This record gives sequence, structure tokens and C-alpha cells, in this order.
Amino acid sequence: MKKIIIVLLTAVTLVFSSCEDYLDKPSLTTMNDDNYWTSENSLRLFANGFYSNYFVGYNSSWGVDYASLRGYTFSDDLASSGKQGGFETQAPSSRAATSETAAWLSTYTGSTWNFAWVRKSNLFIERIDQMKDDKITAEAYKHWSAVARFFRGYEYSRLVSVFGNVPYYDKVLLDTEIDLMYKDRDDRTMVMDKVYDDFVYALDNMRLSDESAQYLNKYIAASFISRLMLFEGTWQKYHLNNNEKAAKYLNLAATAAQFVIDSKKYSFASDFRSLFGSEDLSGNKEVILFRQYDAAIGVTHHIASYSNGYESQSPGPNLKLAKSFICNDGKPYKLSTVENAGKLNIKSVVATRDPRFEATFWDSPKKESATLLYACKFIDREGVKLYPGPYPAKYGSNTNTNDAPVIRLAEVVLNWIEAKAELATLGGTPVAQADIDASINAIRNRPLDATATAKGIKKTAPLSLAALPDDPERDADVPALIWEIRRERRMEFVFEHSRLLDIKRWKKINYMTNTDPDNLLGLWVDFQAEYPEWLVKAKEGKLKVKKEDGTIVTYNATNKADMVGYYIPENVSNRDAFTERVYLAPVGNTQISEYIDKGFTLTQTPGW
Amino acid sequence: MKKTLAILLFLGLFVQMATAQKRSVSGEIREKKTSELLPGVTVLEKGTSNGTVTSTDGQYQISVSEGATLVISYVGMTTQKIKVGSVSTINVNLESAYEELDEIVAVGYGTQKKTNLTGAVASVDMKVLDSRPIPDVGRGLQGTTPGLSVVVPSGEIGSDPIMKIRGQLGSMQGRSSPLILMDNVEIPSIQMVNPDDIESISVLKDAASASIYGAKAAFGVILITTKKGAKTESVNVTYSGNLAFQNISKKMEMAELDGLEYTTLAFERVGGVVAGAFWQMTREGYDKAKIWQETYGDVVKPNDPMLYGRDWYVDASNRKIGLRTYDPYDYMVNEWTPTQTHNVSVNGKSGKTEYNVAFGYLDQTGLIKPSKTDDFQRYNGSVRLGTYITDNLKVYAGSMYSKRNKSYAYATSSTTADPWLYIYRWGPTYPMTTEDGDPLRSPAYEMSAANTANQETNYLSMNGGLNYSPTKDWKINFDYTHANQEYMEKNPGTRYTARDTWSAAVARNDVDGNRIYVNNAGEEVPSTAEGAMPAYQLVMKTYTSVGANPDHVYQIAQNMQWNTINLNTTYDLNFDDVHKFNFMLGMNSVSMTSTSNWSQITQLVDYENPQFNLAYGTQTAGGNEYWESQLGFFGRMNYNFKERYLLEANLRYDGTSKFPTDLKWRWFPSFSAGWRVNEESWMDWSESWLDALKFRGSWGTIGDQSVPGSLYVPTMSGSMTSWMISNAKLYQFGTPGAVSTSVTWQDITTLDLGFDARFLKNELGLGFDWFQRDTKNMIVPLEGIPATFGTGAPQSNYGSLRTNGIEVQVDYVHRFKNGLGINMVATFSDAVTEITEYGTTQSIDSWYVGKTYGEIWGYETDRLYQKEDFEYGGDGKLQKVEVTDPKGTKYTVYKQADPNSPTQGRLQSGNFLFGPGDVKFKDLNGDGVIDPGNRLLTNANGEADYGDLKVIGNSTPRYQYGLRAGADFKGIDFSVFIQGVGKRDVWGNGFLAIPGFNSSDGAMPQAIAGDFWREDRTGAFYPAPYNQAGSNTSLNMQVQTRYLLNMAYTRIQNITLGYSLPMSVISKVNISKARFYVSLENFFTFDKLGGLPIDPEVISGYSMWNSSYYNMGRTGIGVPTYKSASFGLQLNF
Repeated sequence: MKKIIIVLLTAVTLVFSSCEDYLDKPSLTTMNDDNYWTSENSLRLFANGFYSNYFVGYNSSWGVDYASLRGYTFSDDLASSGKQGGFETQAPSSRAATSETAAWLSTYTGSTWNFAWVRKSNLFIERIDQMKDDKITAEAYKHWSAVARFFRGYEYSRLVSVFGNVPYYDKVLLDTEIDLMYKDRDDRTMVMDKVYDDFVYALDNMRLSDESAQYLNKYIAASFISRLMLFEGTWQKYHLNNNEKAAKYLNLAATAAQFVIDSKKYSFASDFRSLFGSEDLSGNKEVILFRQYDAAIGVTHHIASYSNGYESQSPGPNLKLAKSFICNDGKPYKLSTVENAGKLNIKSVVATRDPRFEATFWDSPKKESATLLYACKFIDREGVKLYPGPYPAKYGSNTNTNDAPVIRLAEVVLNWIEAKAELATLGGTPVAQADIDASINAIRNRPLDATATAKGIKKTAPLSLAALPDDPERDADVPALIWEIRRERRMEFVFEHSRLLDIKRWKKINYMTNTDPDNLLGLWVDFQAEYPEWLVKAKEGKLKVKKEDGTIVTYNATNKADMVGYYIPENVSNRDAFTERVYLAPVGNTQISEYIDKGFTLTQTPGW
Repeated sequence: MKKTLAILLFLGLFVQMATAQKRSVSGEIREKKTSELLPGVTVLEKGTSNGTVTSTDGQYQISVSEGATLVISYVGMTTQKIKVGSVSTINVNLESAYEELDEIVAVGYGTQKKTNLTGAVASVDMKVLDSRPIPDVGRGLQGTTPGLSVVVPSGEIGSDPIMKIRGQLGSMQGRSSPLILMDNVEIPSIQMVNPDDIESISVLKDAASASIYGAKAAFGVILITTKKGAKTESVNVTYSGNLAFQNISKKMEMAELDGLEYTTLAFERVGGVVAGAFWQMTREGYDKAKIWQETYGDVVKPNDPMLYGRDWYVDASNRKIGLRTYDPYDYMVNEWTPTQTHNVSVNGKSGKTEYNVAFGYLDQTGLIKPSKTDDFQRYNGSVRLGTYITDNLKVYAGSMYSKRNKSYAYATSSTTADPWLYIYRWGPTYPMTTEDGDPLRSPAYEMSAANTANQETNYLSMNGGLNYSPTKDWKINFDYTHANQEYMEKNPGTRYTARDTWSAAVARNDVDGNRIYVNNAGEEVPSTAEGAMPAYQLVMKTYTSVGANPDHVYQIAQNMQWNTINLNTTYDLNFDDVHKFNFMLGMNSVSMTSTSNWSQITQLVDYENPQFNLAYGTQTAGGNEYWESQLGFFGRMNYNFKERYLLEANLRYDGTSKFPTDLKWRWFPSFSAGWRVNEESWMDWSESWLDALKFRGSWGTIGDQSVPGSLYVPTMSGSMTSWMISNAKLYQFGTPGAVSTSVTWQDITTLDLGFDARFLKNELGLGFDWFQRDTKNMIVPLEGIPATFGTGAPQSNYGSLRTNGIEVQVDYVHRFKNGLGINMVATFSDAVTEITEYGTTQSIDSWYVGKTYGEIWGYETDRLYQKEDFEYGGDGKLQKVEVTDPKGTKYTVYKQADPNSPTQGRLQSGNFLFGPGDVKFKDLNGDGVIDPGNRLLTNANGEADYGDLKVIGNSTPRYQYGLRAGADFKGIDFSVFIQGVGKRDVWGNGFLAIPGFNSSDGAMPQAIAGDFWREDRTGAFYPAPYNQAGSNTSLNMQVQTRYLLNMAYTRIQNITLGYSLPMSVISKVNISKARFYVSLENFFTFDKLGGLPIDPEVISGYSMWNSSYYNMGRTGIGVPTYKSASFGLQLNF
């Protein structure tokens, strides 16, 4: 019996003696904020978390946010059958998030009311500061703080582009800092001055190259800075009439772009379609940053599928967009002397316009597009030949593998020339022909691929300052040069990130009202000749075309020959009227209530 | 089955061997409590047909073999077995089988006489588990014990039921579920217990009774005690078997033609011409579908192939339009699937050694029709052995094994969109059959083509210990358990090859490449024939791409280990039988480790045999490792004065691995007291009818630490991103969240007052409890953190909540002179949880102080708008006008006939304007505008600021009740068990609950499709068609009273009719009990869901696969619940 007692006592003693160890069980599978920040490699691994949010490219899997083609479907370039998608009509019940997925608001093409990325970059900046003295070199410190500040500037640029005034934070908030959390919005110009400082710091301190050309470096940063500063500079000019700030931001846009251009690292050595449909962009001289996809690694997208001719496009490209393409003699179609330039059927337009038209669109009417004009820009030349399928994985479903150009030289030079042109209107140096040659004309001189050459497509004639086209379509308040620069952007970036943001910063949101009937039409079509499949019973009473004189012809089985005109998308109707308030997004009612609950005020966006 | 028989035969022989010389035995038999002599009692020699019955004065005499065992049985009494030793007189006192008074109840680390309990402890009447065709004990406990809530949210076989003690929410972060202990050791699932292995189940509900179990017992304890062996020298063999057949328990009526009408009207309302994805609906299509229904509705059978021209066509815009309707029930649900259960146990005592050996087997087949395999099997085995080495030292050991294996179709790795989601998503024209002999792409096809996944859980525990009594009053108990659980899941994928219903149709040509023409009956005709149309067909292809889900094989293996030590010592101190003390000191420690790893390879070579070695795609792998531990020391004192005044005090010192070092340890006290009033001499007057009356009260605090272990650590997890450089994904570490560094124990304090009374010679009992449970220092996110903070609010002990409730139990048992016995147990319980501390928020969407947990805010529905509510222009059309609300916001609305009628402009969006047939809400605050204000209880000026909202319901189950009534007569027994919930509301989500949830996709219940507003059906329940486009809280479907789902129900959980063969018959074949029964489980349910195919127990988004967002949180979308009919057999040897 004694033995038993001894055994029990021993057991108890053992348990007691190891009490604290027994209960000391920290997480085995995570790092934490206190032990993570040890070396430059920690910084790199943390910075990697920013890439998919800012360098979205074609997104991944079925994701559409910030993705070319599938994400950017709300602009004056496009029309759908039925009623056009509208702006929101009232403030949403809630518009807040704290998650770090790349979620966005599609009708504003930007971030929702989410400060997670602000906190992430502020935290990054603070941790880099803490490592400054003993854990990393001075050079590494400069580079990584430049990286962190670049991302903070990028995030605030996005927030401002959507909401205008937003509260600005340059530190990680403590949960006790109630007054800061609940402060009302800061003036957008104040915020953008902070962004400006971040960008200047980034340009001064970021490495020219960092291991791989695909890691954020000064060229990539400068390219984005030219985009974001151009946005704010023109916004300041057109919306706030603040020419001083406009000049400040535009100058940075121009400087940043100039840096990239002057480096001579990038050039227009690729044909247009290859920029979007190539399996590998690593050798493409025009591409400054691309996103890579690889089925073997399990990272794929679905953007090519929606360019494959079979997947439908609604909304689709409208007549107005097609008309804006310059003819290959360098003149708007109404002024052009190219044969058939005035004929607005798809075939003629393909033949007479800038090569980008042919490279962007299918060369005959396709029912898969709401307007019959189908964009096949984001797939290679082979993929479209497989219509109507079946498609191998790289052209179908969400298993596409063509690389996405995240930012490229064409945008940098167009940002640059536009900034310069705008600066000229603010008293800066006038734009010189050499500037045009280095930008617009350099783009127009891109090589043509074999398919285009075989179709007889010709490069567009250079733009000459001395002989700027006097486009009869031009808005009266836009100078001819700036008009041509804007046209160049429109042709270059169809279905890419820029159109809605462009018309917003130019204060041209009225383009979305579709007062021009061309906005709601497809191209000219002769159904009997080009698309007899639709001259069937089921289309009676539905199929409509519009004659040059405005008369509308509805198909009724007996008028096949008369079914020639601009295609009217089925049941098309204009979007609901909206006001200028849609330049900026409202915050959610819940967010406003939340502030009221705590005795603070969150000002609603003007007009909402 | 063969093996089982062999064992039975063997044991039978074993018993037979003991026969030899004859001798005479006599005696008298009395009823134990009243000491009345009992006539007519059967006295049998075990294993023979030799027997007799007692005379009118209770005497018997029998001649038996040497060493024989007497089996003494009487209806309504517990059968006794007595070994005939050397004596010739054996007097026996029989006890009523329903005896309650002296029942011994298992409590924390010991037992207590039920009469002397001071805490809120319920002992489960084990009869409720008898003859039930249920796969596990948890389901059997539903409705049996007041305060124990059991919910079975779906028909998934092999899933755990959801059990809660006292209220639905104990705390936000921690678990709210009870600790399940088997012989004082935690088990991970109640499923692993063999019901036949259980001696007793106690439910410890208040802090005072559960506190001794410490850190994991804060939300109550289900204490299972297993059979250890017989009390007397004997061998007992029991067998029970059950064969059940299951069928869907609620009709699954999905809309067919009426659903197409809804879809058509919904798109026409907004000027659309077509709706649908893959298969589309147009007005022309709808008109043709009506004709199809008239012509072929009764002719074409579900499995007939789909014919072009008759069942579908391609219109000029290349759209596939379906005309034939398909009922998913025909393709998805199997009727009357079998389940069998067998349990065998042997227990006994031989000299100083007791033993119990038990085996169990369950094989359940699920309802899912297309799957190659859909079943669940469980194997149980246990051995328990104890022996007295000396008179004061008992050593015991035991082992339990449980294997569970669920096999099911592995159609996808997604738990947010599995085949059930699509079954309840695509409309009725979405084909489910075949074309030209090939399968068609559909959820049912994918389930049929899928390979079989299985989930296997193997649990093995080894337990050993000793009970040592240095003196008569002093006991020392030591117990150690090591448990090991392996979980393995293998998901063998495939690729699907079928006629692709998703992609465009292609021309159908004959072998020579000439187009085939068909007529509208689907028959091939010459192209020139009247009504001939060029035929199309769907493309036969492998439509899942290479390497895409589920073209992979995936396997996970997880190992969990627990080490549990319980050590305690008790000392009894008794002064003159007046002051009785019992002291206990003890400790317990539990440590758990878990490791897992998984791997996957995509791109299978052989879809018939998906193997890791037969796949060549991307390999991925991962793993996890986790550990935690708890350690506690405790003391308990019981004091009993003259059996009248009872007092118990507990003190526990608990430590856990989950909090920062300086906050790991805490003291938790609890007390309880009881007063047995009927023992007082001044209560003698009531002796004739009152047998017991005891008042109880308890108060105590238990610490809860059932929260993640790193809440106070700003963790940074690493993961692969989807961004690549040089063909490799970038690795990243995530942003550390905001944390509080002072996270510590949550305090669960319960105050409980109650009484137990028994009347009428113990035949009638009444128990009542009132309790108040406070969860203080509840771990919640810091209140009032806006989005600008940039991350989720840090969590710490910032909140409190309180649950109040009552529990009532009434039981009655009576045996009439003629032998008819009746028994009844009724239970009722209710609990309400309220937030008592959570910052200063006034938001009705947050946890403002005073909020009732589960409350639903919404509008009060007035009625549906009718045509006469609006003004019409000269063209007879609704007129749009602009109105301005008091805040100055402008809305475009249809002009109402009554200019004073409140405007609902605020609730509109997009192209939706409220018109005839839409929902009209009540203007509760009379401001002329229907709006939700700022959704604040009170604003800065102290005014109500929630517009026209009010609390319209509550999602927690209220008024839970159970009623079990039984009767037996001459071997026939009958019982009915009813269970229900008096009140529960749910605001639904998804196709089954929300009219027009996505009318473009098309699926909807017939209950909606047959009862929506039309100009010729103005009294309809559901509003005019509109496509809600996936929203369940907007436009017509604002959260509101009219469409709130009433989830109250009454369920006849079980009806059993049994017959026990008379002893005189069965004893000839060595059997001491033989009972046959038939039983109906879950057969009748009465609910108020108006024909929606939703089971009233469902929880939106809850499944064994994903407990919060299963199938996108849509209500009722999952495996349907089942009912079963069974028959069974119970044999005791």
C-alpha cells in the first residue's frame, strides 16, 4: 500500500513541478509581430502580400475586380442590349470592409471604403523604421521604405479617386485613438499632397532593380506614379480649378514618366495583340510589369475565354468607340481620304482604321456581342480560330494562361504627353513635335503582326503638330492636341483600366448620358450580306437597324433587303438619368450612423 | 451477422455447462418499498424451462440444480438474478422498474443519491434510448431533458447533432456546447459511444454541479457512465438489433411550369426579353412549355431521353430554350434506404473481478440517389475489467474503440457550392436525364459520376486506474487515460464527361454529315416536312478542365492525442449520523496535441482509380500542428445535517495554456444547498401524499477558456499568393491583426433555484429550476471600431451577457391492479439571452446593451399593394413622380392614389419601383416615409432612430418541450415521444425561402410559384414577380413580418410498439428477455412553413462540411432530413 501512495505522491509532485511548462504552449504554426521582423527577407515576404492587390492584371480564376475586359465594363465605350447599367441611385446601406481581398466598386473602378491597405502600408513603414538601426542596411532601409510609401500613396490615390475627401492616416491606429478613427474626411488636396510626398520619396529612394525585373522597382513605381499623378493633376484642373496643385501633380507625372522613357529600357518592339495574348511577356520590351500565369502552378485566369468569340460580351463596344478610332492616314474618319473610311461596317472599319482596331476586334459581326462588335483583344491569334469551340484549357473556362501586362510603356508615354500638354495650358513649356514623336508616333509605329499584314492593315500616319486634325466631333472646350491625346488613349486602352477614370478626371461624365445616339448603336450592318442567320422568324419584330437618316427598320420577314443600317442592340434603352454627384461615391448609411452613434460626424459625399 | 450468431451460440453453451445435482429452494417475495408480499411472481431456473410462480401470499418453492441461478421477474419490476449458494431459503425484495426515489446519480467524480442532490443535475431516463432507430445517442437525447437542446439541422448521415445546455449562446468566441465526458474523460464526439454501453447519463447544468470539471465545463456537462460489470455473481449476455428504412421526411415540391411563369413575368416586368444562364426562358419558350405540359406532362417519364424539337429548341439568338420540366426529387432522392444496427454485450462478475465487453455495429444508407455509395458505418468495441487485489484496492482498466466511416460522392471540393446548391438553383427546364444515351451535365449526373470519398475516424482510448481505501472512510482514486484519434479523409476526384448542358448546342447531323430535321414531337422527318426544323444536340465532352476541381486526388490525415489524469481523494466524516461530511481534494490535467497534413495531386490518369501514383499534375501539400493544455486543482466539501440540510462547496484553481502567462491562473468558487422539507417533523401531516420535497439553490462561477489560443498574439500567417515570378508563387506573411494583450478567462456564473417533489407514493414527480447564467468578461471584439481602423477590432474580455431560463419536468408512473402500467414524462424549458455589457453602441445591428440574442429587426408588413393604390396616366400606365423625404432626399416612385400614403422610395434601387403586387409596409413612426432611420436604438438626442423598424422575431429556439408517454400490458408495450419547439423565427436566404431570389436561375418551391401576386390573383401570399438577383434583404424582401419563416414545430419523434415474450416461453431456450418492436422515428412533423421544402430544424449555412457558410448560407439547401420505420429485437441471456 505504501508503494501506491508513493507512486501517487510522485505523480502529483511531477505534475506540480512542471506546471508552468505544462501550460506554455505558444502557436506552432505562425510567426507574430514580435518575432517576425528580423531581416531584409522579412520585408520582402511582407511586401509580396501587396502584389495581387495592386498589380491585378487579369486577376485569377473567376475574379473580375480590376481585371481587363471582365472588370472594366462600365464606360461610354460600351452598350448592352436592354437597359444600360446605371449608376447607383442612392447611398448603399453599408460600404465598408476590412478584408485584404482586392475588392472594388465596379461603377467607380476603385476601392470600397476599406482602410485595411492603409493600415498595412503604415504598419510596414513603422516596422521598417524599427529595423533601421540594427537589422538592415541603410540602402535596404531606403528601398523598402520607398516600397511601403509607394503602396500607401497608391492606396490613397485609389480611395481619393472613388470618394474624394477621405480621412488621412500616416500611422497604425491604436484601438484607443477614438478621435482619430472617427475623424471626418480630410480635404482631398491635403491627402494628395501627402501622396505626392510619398511618391517623391519613392522615386528618390527605390532601387533601380531588385533581384528580378518583376519585383517592384523604380521604373515600375514611376510608371504608376505617372498614372496616378496625371489623374489628380487633371482632376485638380478640371474639377477644382486649382491650377497650382494641378501643375504640381502634373509635373510629377511628367517627371516620373520621363524617367522611365529616358532609361531607354523599354521600347515599342511588340505588335499590339502580343501585349495581351502572349503566353510569356518576359521578353516583351514594351511591358514594364506583367503578371504571370501558369497552369502547372495553378494560377490561371478567365480573361482570354471571354475574348474567344464564343463567350458573350454584354455590354459590347459601341459605334461611338469605333468612330473615335483614327484612320490610317492619321485623320478622323470624317476628314479621312482613305478609301471606304466613311463606311462604318465592321469590315471597312477594320481595313481603314488604326491597326489597333483590327487587333482589338473581331472582323465581322458576331451575335456573341450585344452590339455585334466583339473584342478579342485579350487572346492570341490562334485562340479565336477555334470558334465555336471546343477550346483547350488555355482558351476556355478559368484556366487561361496568357500573361497580363500590368503596366506598359504605351501608358507611360501617353501619361507623359498628356501631362505635358496640360502643363502647357497652365503656362508650361509648349509641347514639341519631338514629344509627339516620342509618344503618340512611337506607339503608332509599333510593328504589325503577320495576321494584320496579311489583311493589308497599315500603320497609322504620324501625328503632326503642324497639321493637327480639326475633328468635327471634338468638344468645343478641348484643344485639338489634347483631343488627339485623349483619342490615342481611347484607342489604346479599350477594355483596360482607364476609360471611366479618364472621363471622370476630364469632367466628362456626361459622355455616360448617351446623348449621342452613337453610344447605343452597333456598327453598320447589312444583314442579308453579313448575317443572314438572323433573318428568321424568331427575330421578327425584334431585329432592328437604324438608317443614316434616323429611320428605324424592324425586321418583319418581308424586308430582308432593307435590313441594312446601324445595328440597334435588342431592346436597347438609355441608362437612368444621373447627376454630377456620381463623380464620387457615397459612403454607406451604416458608416454615417456609426459615427452618429459615437457622437461624431462622417460627412456624406456631396450630392448623396 | 454470422459472427454475432457464433458468439451467441458459444455463450449459450457456456451457460449450459453448469447443470448438475438437484436441490430445493424456497422463500418469499416482497415489494421492496412497501414490503407487501407479491403473488404471481415468476421464479425460473436460469437456462431451463424449470419454473414456478409465487402463491397468493407470495411464497414459492422450486427444485433446482446445484449451482443454479434463479431469475425472478414480475411485470413492472426489475428482474433479479440470484445465484443459489448453499442456503435453502432465498427471500427477495423486488424493486419497481420505475423507482426514482433512491436513484443514484453520477455527479462530478462520484455519485450522489438523487434525493441529496443540491445542484441542477438531470439524469436521463435511459428508456428514451431504447428501441429507437437512431444512429447516435445525441439524437436520442432530443427533448428528453429540460435545458438540454439538441438540434439535427440536416439529413447528413454521420453528422453530429448540435447540443447546447441552457440557452443557445454561452459566449461569442468560446464554444457554447457542453463538455461530453465518458467516465470523467472528455470524448470528441458523442457519436463514438455505443448506446448499449451506457449505464447512465447525467446532465450537469449549473455551475455548482459542473464546476468540479473546471475549464471546459462552463456550458454544462453531459456525463456518460459506462457499464463496468455486474453487481452480483453472474454472466449476462444481451443482444439488440434493429433494421430501419429511411425516407425523406418532408415533401420536396419544386416548381415546374408555374416557376417558368414566375421567371417570365419577372423579366417582362423590367422590359427584359429573356432570362437564364445556359438554359434560357423567353415568352415564346414559356408558351411552348405550357403546350409541352399539356401534351407530354403525363406521358414523358423522368428517365426518358431528352429529344430536340419536343423537349427543347435553339432559337435564332442561339439560345437554348427548355420546354420539358424535370423534378429534382426524381433524380436525387432514394426512397426507403436501409439501416441496420447490432449490439452485443457480455457483462458479469466472477469472484473479485467484474467485466463488461461490448460490440456494436451500425450501417446506415443515406438518401442520395445518384451517388455510387452513400453510407455511414460505425463499429464499437469496448472492454472494461476491474478486480479487487485486496479488499481495499481495486485496480481497473478499460479500452474503447470506435471507428466511423462515411462514404459519399465526391463531386467537388467546394463546400459553398456543392450539387445541392445547383439542384436548388437551376430552374425546372434544366435537363437531368440523357440525350442519345449519353448523360447530361447536371448535379445529379456529377454525383453519379463522382468517385466515392470517405472520412474515417478511428478513436482508441486506453484507460487505467485504481481505487484505494486506506481506511473505511478514506478513498483515493487515480485514473489515467490516453486517447488517440486518427482522422483520414480521401477525396478521389474525377473529370466529368457528358453532353454539356452549359455550352451552346451544335448542329445534329447524320453519319453522312447531313443535317437532321425533326418535328415538334422530336421525331426525325424530311427537311421538307411540315414543321420540320433543323436539329441540334448538345456537345459530348469532358467539360471539367485538366487539373481543375475535382480532377485531383486529395488526402488528409490528422492525429489527435489526449492525455488525461484525474486524481482525487475523498474522506467521509460522520458524527452520530447527524452531521455527515464528505471532503474531496483533487486535480485533473488534460493535454491535447494535434497534427495533420494533407496533400493533393491534380491531373488524374485513371478516373476509375484515382491514386497519388496515378496523377501527374500539380502537387500541393500542407499541414498543421496544434497543442493546448489545462490543469486544475479542486476541493469539494459536502455537509449533510440529518438528511435535511444539505450543503456543498467547491473551489477550483484553474490554469490554461491559452492566455498570457500572468493571466493563465484563476480561482473559481461555487456553492449549493438543499433543504429536504419533507424530512422536517412538522411536515408529518403531509406524509400520506407527499413523498419528497426539496428546495435547492446554487451559485457558482466557472472559468471558460474554450477560445483560440492566440487571441492575444498578433500572429502573422504565411501563405502562397497567386502572384508569380519566374514560375513560382510568391510567399507572403499577412498583416498582423490588432490584439489586446490582456485576454483572460471568461467567467460563467450561474445562479440556480429549484425544487423537486414527489407525490402519491412516488408515482408523480415534479421538478422545477429557474436559472440565471451570466457570461462576464466575455471575449468579444472591442465595440465601436469603424472601418477606418483598418482591421477587425481587437478581442478581449469586453462584454457580458445574461441568460435567464426555466426548466420543468413532470413524471408519472402507475401500475393498475390488472397489470396495466402507464408512464409519462413531460419536459419544458425556455431560455432567453440578453446582452448586458458591450460598449456604448446604440446600433440595432450591433450588440447594444439590452439586446436579446437572436432578435430580428424588420418592417411590419401591411399588405400587398393593389392596382387601385396607384394613379394611372392617360395611357393607362403607372406614372412616375419625384418625391422628397423629410431629410431632403429625392426618390422617383409610382404615383399613389392616396397622396398621404407613405412613400417607400428609400427601399427602392435600380429599376425596381414599388407597384401593384409589391409589398406595402407600415409606417410605424408615422412620418410618411418607410425607412430604417439610422438604425440606432437612440440617437445623440436620446430619440428613437430606427425609423419604421421593430423587433419582429427571434432566431433562437424558445419553449422547447418533450413528452414521452408509454403503457405496457402483459408483455405489450407502447410508447409515443413527442418533441417540439414553441417559437423560432428565421429570416430566410436563398431560393427556397425568398421569392424571386434569382428568378433568372429559375429554381423555386411550388409553394411560391403557385401563390404569387397576379392581376387575377390579388389575394396571393407572395408579391409580384421580380428578380431579387441574389439579395434576401432588399426591395420586396426587406426583412419583415409577412415572410419571416415560422420555424416552430411539433414532431412525433418516435412511436414504438413492442412485445416481450413471456418468461415461461423463452426460458426454455435459455433466454431471460426477448422483445420485438416496431418503431417509427421522426414520422410526423407539424410545422408552419406553408409547404416550403424546408425542415423546421434547419440552420442556414450549417452543415458537417461547413458550419457557417455551407452552400452560401442558403436556407434549407442541403441533404434533406429523413424519417424511418424500423423493427427490432432485444434478447437477454
